[in-house]
Amino acid sequence: MDLVLQLLFTGIGIGAVYALVALGFVLIFRATNVVNFAQGEFSMVAAYLMVVCAVDLELPYWLSFIIALAGMAVIGVIFNLGVYYPLRHRTYLPVIIATIGASILMANGVLALYGPQPQVLPGWFETPGIQLGPVYLDSQYLLIIVVTIALVIFNYWFFEHTMIGKKLQATSQDKEMASLLGISVSTMIMITFIYSAVLGGLAGLLVAPILFVSIQMGSTIALKAFAATIIGGFGDVAGAIIGGLALGIIETFGAAYISVPYKDGFAFLVLVLFLVFRPQGIFGERVAEKA
Amino acid sequence: MTLTRRGFTAGIAAGFAAPYIMGSARAQGGGTIKIGMCAPITGPAAEAGKYATGGAKLAVEAINKAGGILGKQIELIIEDDQTTNPGIVLAFSKLAANPEIVGFLGSIRSTQVHAMAPDVMKLGKPVMFGGTDPNLTKLGNPWLFRFRPNDSYSGRVIAEYGVKNLGKKKWAVLHSTDAFGTAGGKALTEALGPLGATVALDQGYANQSQDFTPVVLAIKQSGAEILGSYFTFENDLGIFARQLRQLGVNIPWVGSPSIVNVTALKLAGPALYGTFGVADYAEESSEASKAFGKAYRDAYKVAPDNQSSWPYDAINVLAMAIKNAGSTDPQKIREAIVAIKKYPGAEGEYNFDKNGDGLHGYNIVKNEKGNIVFDKHIEFDN
Repeated sequence: MDLVLQLLFTGIGIGAVYALVALGFVLIFRATNVVNFAQGEFSMVAAYLMVVCAVDLELPYWLSFIIALAGMAVIGVIFNLGVYYPLRHRTYLPVIIATIGASILMANGVLALYGPQPQVLPGWFETPGIQLGPVYLDSQYLLIIVVTIALVIFNYWFFEHTMIGKKLQATSQDKEMASLLGISVSTMIMITFIYSAVLGGLAGLLVAPILFVSIQMGSTIALKAFAATIIGGFGDVAGAIIGGLALGIIETFGAAYISVPYKDGFAFLVLVLFLVFRPQGIFGERVAEKA
Repeated sequence: MTLTRRGFTAGIAAGFAAPYIMGSARAQGGGTIKIGMCAPITGPAAEAGKYATGGAKLAVEAINKAGGILGKQIELIIEDDQTTNPGIVLAFSKLAANPEIVGFLGSIRSTQVHAMAPDVMKLGKPVMFGGTDPNLTKLGNPWLFRFRPNDSYSGRVIAEYGVKNLGKKKWAVLHSTDAFGTAGGKALTEALGPLGATVALDQGYANQSQDFTPVVLAIKQSGAEILGSYFTFENDLGIFARQLRQLGVNIPWVGSPSIVNVTALKLAGPALYGTFGVADYAEESSEASKAFGKAYRDAYKVAPDNQSSWPYDAINVLAMAIKNAGSTDPQKIREAIVAIKKYPGAEGEYNFDKNGDGLHGYNIVKNEKGNIVFDKHIEFDN
């Protein structure tokens, strides 16, 4: 039982990371109908920004955190203007390819600036974790879980109870209609990109003290987050969260009880099963032709 | 003046032939002995490349200061291998096109040495390398010479140290599932049997795992008294080390060379304190290692490691072989290298065998609060 609880905690912790990145995928997909393959690189870039501020420049941790997230907002704007906006009237395919190109550019840009060595980023807390009976709770994982819950609540409030959230929803559902109603579609899409970049960045900042800061950190998480998005249902916020958590738990238990080397395999096996039997995901509508 | 077709053809021909004619003229009357080196100047291992070329240059300078070899100075010609397999093949072909180069330095990465091996065979000139895949000296290629102990020795050294020195017989073996990790894990498991030890857990993991909780819990449940590991990437090692300590596993741990690597020490920090590692270069292991360490620190103001020590040894051994052979004839150099016995290098004592393996043992070092301290050297005569 102790073992199960320990695995469950870790599974939820790592699943929450996937969920955060998956949320970024979903928001952009809802607003623009394309998958942003640079979502993982947002996490990586934010983590490097944090290393520059908190480690190299020795700024206070909270200030570095804010600067890194602000930096991601700027990157969200640049990404929208440079990658999405020029191609907005084309089909989804050129945009998807452009996001892949942008992800390669970001990864290699950081590599050129910072070199290939992984970096260490300290966590928020002095104490690495707490022992609760038989279960060890890593303080950083606890923080990730708390932030994920907070974000779920925030998202619900933001999209359902604020005017800007409703405008964003309207834009994602029908751009032409939204435009006729006087909503500035391009502004809404800009806001979506900013929010997604900040969300991706937040995931990177939270996970960096556990996984270290490296060029590959974004792509490894993003691949799982992408799977989580499909499992949850592309375009569904709750689905992304549930999908992410499910994936984290499945792979942790799969590794413990079936095989460690095939840990990643379980995640993708679940993905394949969903694509075959329920391509719209747990909550989603049928969007298989876009996956 | 009008350009005729014949004149044009002759001009082109002369243009193509000139470098070769001049090259061969230089080869006959050149004042230096040229050694080619493929090193990662760009790409992911660019930082390591700096150390490698630094080590080689240090040896060249010392030899030249002492009067050179066969009355000539050594000249090192470096080509960028881009840290890739196609890159090293290209770099080596550029160097091989220069007939004046008498010997070469290859790579510390086994995969790159595999990539260049067919061209080495075709060229028929000695190539020194640092890759540790045991198969590289079993390819039937007489021109490859290794300047680090191969991985079959690291498994035996980890096993012998754990069983005989630490007195632990119930092992957990943890290794990456890539070629390096699988071969290492197998070598360690095979070495444990004859020493009367048992393997309580033989656990592989995929590179770039984000979480090792299931692995740590498996080690805990196996009741193993000691852990032997082969990690390929430092970030995996760092994540595992931290989770191992967090979940309260404090058994002795002897790891492959990555456990004492500078990056791993930085990432894992205190989680690696008290662990043991096998290391081909350990500064305190011998007088020659100390001397190299001092010279390297004086020249570059950074700590020496195996990236810089093997090229240093390779240049010295190659120079010694040329001197002993009294010639730059490839076959004679090869015979002179194979004849080298008991040469005290920075990496250890070189005793070349017929396969081209120079070293046959490893150092065991201990992580004492982040400082790597030499413990002992374990040598095998087979």
